[in-house]
Amino acid sequence: MTEITLSRKPSTAQADASALQAKAKLTARNLNFYYGDFKAINDVNFDVAEKCVTSLIGPSGCGKSTLLRIFNRIYSIYPGMRAEGQATLDGENVLDPKYSLNKLRSKIGMVFQKPVPFPMTIFNNISYGIGHYESLSKADMNNRVEEALRQAALWDEVKDKLGQSALGLSGGQQQRLCIARAVALKPEVILFDEPTSALDPIATGKIEQLFAELKQHFTILIVTHNMQQAARCSDFTAFMYLGELVEFGVTETMFTKPTKQQTEDYITGRFG
Amino acid sequence: MATKAENLYFRRSVMNAFAMLLSLSAAVIGLFFLGWILWTTFSKGLPALSWSLFTTTTAPPGEPGGLANALVGSLVLCLSAVLWATPVGIAAGTYLAEYANHTKRGEVIRFVNDILLSAPSIVLGLFIYTIIVRPMESFSAYAGVIALGFIVLPVVVRTTDEMLRLVPTQMREAALSLGVPQWKVTTNVLYRAARSGITTGVLLGLARISGETAPLIFTNTNNQYWSFSPNSPMANLPMTIYEYSKSPFEDWQQLAWAGALLITLFVLLVSVTARIILLRNRVQND
Repeated sequence: MTEITLSRKPSTAQADASALQAKAKLTARNLNFYYGDFKAINDVNFDVAEKCVTSLIGPSGCGKSTLLRIFNRIYSIYPGMRAEGQATLDGENVLDPKYSLNKLRSKIGMVFQKPVPFPMTIFNNISYGIGHYESLSKADMNNRVEEALRQAALWDEVKDKLGQSALGLSGGQQQRLCIARAVALKPEVILFDEPTSALDPIATGKIEQLFAELKQHFTILIVTHNMQQAARCSDFTAFMYLGELVEFGVTETMFTKPTKQQTEDYITGRFG
Repeated sequence: MATKAENLYFRRSVMNAFAMLLSLSAAVIGLFFLGWILWTTFSKGLPALSWSLFTTTTAPPGEPGGLANALVGSLVLCLSAVLWATPVGIAAGTYLAEYANHTKRGEVIRFVNDILLSAPSIVLGLFIYTIIVRPMESFSAYAGVIALGFIVLPVVVRTTDEMLRLVPTQMREAALSLGVPQWKVTTNVLYRAARSGITTGVLLGLARISGETAPLIFTNTNNQYWSFSPNSPMANLPMTIYEYSKSPFEDWQQLAWAGALLITLFVLLVSVTARIILLRNRVQND
């Protein structure tokens, strides 16, 4: 486990990043976010380590999903929402309008709370995104789809029905299909917005197992309501409250000896 | 206290029974007249059905005639109207749902569309008469097609708008998060999700215009003969039924009943098809 001590102060963030053995893949610097006049994220600073799982926890409405959604600029489809400050991927500020959305979204994939397979076949669900970036031969595309489905631990369950509608899959399978769809683009980062909150415990278990596999290849940032999930799956945990990042650190430390009173209160269930 | 609760419960049961009775009788009255209309149409129309309806054209009274030209003409008029109104309507509905949702402009357009949706069809007919028929100084099939299309248009706009808005936002976000541009998301993903609903809207529009007479009176009028020219009136079923049912000739009246039955069956078929499509591929939405 990498030992890090990240402070929320931007002045020391640089030094802390060097303390990370893993490279900081994503960073937030003085990040603010507004829904119209309402400030939902207040001056957040943190680093997401490359090829690690980082989870964002906190009570409902604390801004953790909002923070996640800044990184691929998915918020930008809604009028009145805006982000200030810096969110960087490999050192480049993705909030810069010059940073192309196409490039950003090919590098940062996203999986949502509710599984949303597209109303097409299982195969086309995966090939749809790939086809937007690359024109592959049929054989190559077959390989890519198989690879993505294997990475999402779904291949064995669907290999005989790739031509069937994805809507016929179970909820857990649909969510793994969505993971496969994100993985298929070979992104560098995958954002998960409460990926298991609509699933039963068995399907949840399968997805949690996947994180360990996926982090071999991808940098993972998860928003979760489930503190046990954060404790089980993530290397780093960030606790957010009322739009601020209260504490950030190695998951084990966060759950055993948090430094802030608010964090302790939350993880011991005193509020939230 | 118990008696008070019981009193309250009794009063509510009575109110409940009363409300049930009212709504049940309303349903019975509605269905009774629908049944009566269908019964009359079938009992008068069925004996008038014959193969020659489909093989011979309308003829002067006393001579053997059918409805072939009127049936084909109606089909051409209605399908042409659907053909122009559908793409325009889908485009407008897409604009409302995907680009102008939650905007003032979108609300205004939606409101104006609802007005068009409930505009009396004869007003649409008069409108087309004023802007097309009068300047051209002739009734024509294309004026009829335009008038009929204006009835289909708001139906398609409304259903496209509503069906697209029923597609979960997360599906848009999921598709956009793959880096696919919005127009591609709309055409490749959202239209698929809303396809059955939009198809239903188009079919209901078709069902609605297949019996419309008023917009044709001022635009296309009618034709006793075969005509496929867009610049002259085309034979059609509603106008033929209207004219024949007013006539004093027994054989023409028979043809009118047969025509009425055929339109009813067609509308029934289209509506049932629309319902089946909607039930089979319901938009995934919870």
